[in-house]
Amino acid sequence: MAKPSLLGPLRVIKYLFKKPKTLRYPFELKEPARRYRGFHLNDWDQCTGCGNCADICPNDAIEMVERPEIAPDPGEKNERPRLDYGRCCFCGLCVDICPPGSLRLSRDYFHIHFDTSTFVFTPRDEKTDDETFLPAEKYSVLKASLAHRKRDYQGFEPEIDYALFDPDRVEMPEVPPEERKLSFVEQMLGYDREQAVREAERCLECALCEDACPAHLKISDYIEAVYEDSPEDSLRTIYEDNPIPAICGRICMKHCEDACSLSIRGEPLAIRWLKRFVSDTVRNYRDALEQSPGEPTGKRIAVIGAGPGGLSTAYFLRLLGHEVVVFDELSGGGGMLRVGPPRYRLPEEAIDKDVEYIASLGVDFRFQTRVGRDVEFEELRDEFDAVFLGIGLTVSRSTRVENADRCQLALPFLAKNKTEEKCEVPEEVIVIGGGNVAMDVAREALRLQHIRYPGKRTVTRTVSLEDWDEIPATEEEIEEAREEGVEFNPAWGPKRVVLDDQGNIKGLLCMKVNSVFDEEGRFAPTFHEDQEMFLEGRMIIEAIGQGADFSFLPKEVMERIEFTEARKVRVNENGMTTVPGIFAGGDIVNVNLDAVTAIADAKAASEGIDQWLSGGEG
Amino acid sequence: MRELELYFGPQHLGMVGNFSITLKVEGDRVVKADANPGYLHRGFEKLMEQRSWIKNFPMVCRINVVEPDSMELAYATAVESLAGIEVPERAQFIRSIYLELARVGSHLFGLWAYSNMLGFDTAAQWAMYHRDLVLDLFEELTGGRVYHIYIWPGGVRRDFPEGFEKRLVETLHSIGGCVPDYDACFFDNRLFYDRAAGIGKITREEAMEMGGTGQALRATGVPYDVRKIEPYAAYDKVPWEVPTREDGDAFSRIWVVRDEMIESVHMIFKLLDEMPKGDVYNRIPNPFKWRIPEGETYVRCESSRGELGLYLVSDGGDKPYRVHFRTPSYPHGLTILEKALVGESISDVGNIMISLYVVAPEIDR
Amino acid sequence: MDRALIDSLSSTFDALRVEVPREDRLTVQAPRDAVMSVLSFLKGRGYDHLHMVSCVDWMEEGQFELVYVLSAYGTGQDSASNPGEEIILKTRIPRELPTVVSSISLFKNAEPYEREIHELFGVRFEGHPRLTPLFLERDYEIPPFRKDFDTRQYVEDFFGSIPPVGEEDQDV
Repeated sequence: MAKPSLLGPLRVIKYLFKKPKTLRYPFELKEPARRYRGFHLNDWDQCTGCGNCADICPNDAIEMVERPEIAPDPGEKNERPRLDYGRCCFCGLCVDICPPGSLRLSRDYFHIHFDTSTFVFTPRDEKTDDETFLPAEKYSVLKASLAHRKRDYQGFEPEIDYALFDPDRVEMPEVPPEERKLSFVEQMLGYDREQAVREAERCLECALCEDACPAHLKISDYIEAVYEDSPEDSLRTIYEDNPIPAICGRICMKHCEDACSLSIRGEPLAIRWLKRFVSDTVRNYRDALEQSPGEPTGKRIAVIGAGPGGLSTAYFLRLLGHEVVVFDELSGGGGMLRVGPPRYRLPEEAIDKDVEYIASLGVDFRFQTRVGRDVEFEELRDEFDAVFLGIGLTVSRSTRVENADRCQLALPFLAKNKTEEKCEVPEEVIVIGGGNVAMDVAREALRLQHIRYPGKRTVTRTVSLEDWDEIPATEEEIEEAREEGVEFNPAWGPKRVVLDDQGNIKGLLCMKVNSVFDEEGRFAPTFHEDQEMFLEGRMIIEAIGQGADFSFLPKEVMERIEFTEARKVRVNENGMTTVPGIFAGGDIVNVNLDAVTAIADAKAASEGIDQWLSGGEG
Repeated sequence: MRELELYFGPQHLGMVGNFSITLKVEGDRVVKADANPGYLHRGFEKLMEQRSWIKNFPMVCRINVVEPDSMELAYATAVESLAGIEVPERAQFIRSIYLELARVGSHLFGLWAYSNMLGFDTAAQWAMYHRDLVLDLFEELTGGRVYHIYIWPGGVRRDFPEGFEKRLVETLHSIGGCVPDYDACFFDNRLFYDRAAGIGKITREEAMEMGGTGQALRATGVPYDVRKIEPYAAYDKVPWEVPTREDGDAFSRIWVVRDEMIESVHMIFKLLDEMPKGDVYNRIPNPFKWRIPEGETYVRCESSRGELGLYLVSDGGDKPYRVHFRTPSYPHGLTILEKALVGESISDVGNIMISLYVVAPEIDR
Repeated sequence: MDRALIDSLSSTFDALRVEVPREDRLTVQAPRDAVMSVLSFLKGRGYDHLHMVSCVDWMEEGQFELVYVLSAYGTGQDSASNPGEEIILKTRIPRELPTVVSSISLFKNAEPYEREIHELFGVRFEGHPRLTPLFLERDYEIPPFRKDFDTRQYVEDFFGSIPPVGEEDQDV
């Protein structure tokens, strides 16, 4: 190639007359890009203290520190991430893993200081920190530091499509609404192994759920065991705190899933379904669990009621070596769960699996034995060293409006449908109530209508005092009921049951609800008396709540048992009532009214009983 | 004449980066050269054996500060190949665009280093300024100027922000508009020709014997480019040329760099035209539980300095079992450099080293 | 991958384990003594580009694995080899007294790789002209890239023994 010329370069002399490109810092500033990865911002209100940011940090730059000024909600921690900017590499993995999306990066990047300790910093954002985050007029780049930053200066932010966790759960196979409403077949089909492992993989192991669970199950551990494809290990972990996994795996109120980090911006981990998977997959509990009752102590305990509370108390006490006899008037275990929840939610086989295992440990079950009828309470007190009351709420309440005596009550209706001879239903049914029991009743009535009048137009409608936003049934129950075709009439209250000339039910006259609760949050409904609505229906079922039946207790005992303001049996931290030797748990004690809280009560009570029997404080 | 031993670097004005060469000289002629790396050895490969698959992602880019992006690509594709992760097509296009942008940025940096070392301050300042414009684009796309932490297993970390394509095209046009000035000032400058032509000459056979790739090989007339011979990302989706030169000296290598930059810019325009819509990321498994099946893989790509390879072994665990980067500067800086320096004058040591585009952190890893 | 190459490899050498993990990839597991002749054979077939020499410490099995990655530059007239294909040649050697013949005579760029493996794993390459340290500054009891080298412990011991910078030093 020819040698280039010497004069060519002179062409660039023109640049002498151009403006310089250099920024005259600090008079001219360069705005960082919209996505800039600078110092952290953390919205303390959204942050749950889950610690996933600290776990993923490649440089161990994040430490979770306790902030005593924060009062954590259930399922949250009062810990917040603290950054060490001597280590941080501004990669933003913490942002992409943050489940609530509270952690973000800002466009600030200045911090100059002689004191190395100032580089360790617990970030917040402008919402809660006026001193650090300043409006434009108060901000000066000459003072810029970790403690002198711009407001509204967010940079790299979380985006759910690029999150490092999976917000979508593995779908639970279920019978479609059109099909399931024609029979009582179990709706949820359960995960298979591959699905369960895939779902378990989503768990971030932050364990916020374990604090939220009333019985504090070691959820992260048993989910991890499912992920490791070892359901036996998982079952062993579950049984440390919960002896009725087949039941809870179906009908648990899953406080854990409400607290699940993944639920904030996605669907919570299907903890309940994974528990069900474990209990369904392990065929033989005895071989998997390898448990045996403890050394005999010679003490005997009577448990009244074979519901979740009673079953769990019996299990925990039996493991401690005590002799336990469980009394229940029904023909099998499960208590209210045996007669309440419909077959499509909780088949008896699942209940029996759990009960049989507890029986196999040597717990003596006396079914079809009603205390107060077949055996006197006083006899039990003489014969046994301690008594546990796990009697549950067994009596349905009535609205007591005019002609309410013509209506059916929820519990007998549900109980009868669990037997071979089901209830007769007309083509139009009204259910009063907006709770989960009302949903059970309505969905059963709807099924019975479809079985009884195939192809005909039938209708089941519910009436509830509460409007959509405060209706007490769970979201999924409402969703499933609507899928099946249940009609809802929220914010209407019953005024009178209307009869026809023959004295048969013709329908329900309703009035518009003004408010359900008073200013202090107590139940005190008010109505617009002038706004009325008439609902047609040949049958009305009342499902507005249940009460306990203490009639089996002798008067002198009943007088000594104290109740709380919420009409609950008062127990101490060991589960003992105000009568020494009588312990209690479950729906008559707690306000949650669910199985897992009953298990928590049972755990406290069984430890209390054990302590009390060995001569400790009751 | 008396033989002297001369320590060239790591503190030396003609040396870019923390690297040194022990020279045996006679007069100002080099008789023997011993490359001496290690000033930057950070043991990345060992560190990576102790971090989970995702925690290594923000780290690999740090192996080479000049062009971190091809490191990210090598790691991401190796992990994808071991774990069987698919990458969406749009992400493949974005990867190619991003990597070509990185090549332009890296070459501009190299041009700065080279022309600065030769004393062509004007071209050096321009190159640095234009590289800064490229960094602005990276900042907008990824949130980081130097370490972009952008290509991760499964795709890329974010899609283009709104209006990015327009600014990308504008910036590249404004840099491209300066090519005639660059040529006049530097590439067609007689002084550059006199300093670089015939210097540090390597024949085609020598280059291949010593594992040469990239400009070192292409300047000897071999159109060897991994983007062509084993296409990855979206390099097989648009037509483009591999620029070569014949002489194998510093002058040819720098001209190959220049032509490559221009080719890269054209390729970006073509890729932008062909780029499909859609997702840019297939979610990886939960990083806290991510284990990759037992196996080994070797992946390679064309970095701005030559062939970059990664040998990655998994023992089925949550961390790599062995990571070994085959960086292009390794043979260039340790084998070819030692050969190319022999017989040259001391004043051309930096000239040859930078024309081979030896980046010390890449050797040390 | 060229079927003929696989066949001639297997017919020329005993005790080779040849696998084709994917279309453009060949993995050859050779006994230590055959490494040089296999490398030479492959170079003769156009696989003239040695990418790297690597080493993996399989501590549990008491072995080191040396890994040679080869491909073709594709410039030779007669070579049927496709530059887009790679051959990974591996050999296992005992962890105790690990030695292997240097491949510098075939591939000049093996020199720094072997030097590095000698330094980081303690593998001796017979016939290597300078097995002097490449990267490291000081001697280690265990070569630092072996699996039994505890990085964290080393950092603790070494940097922990350096006293922290005192106040008076900062004033300077």
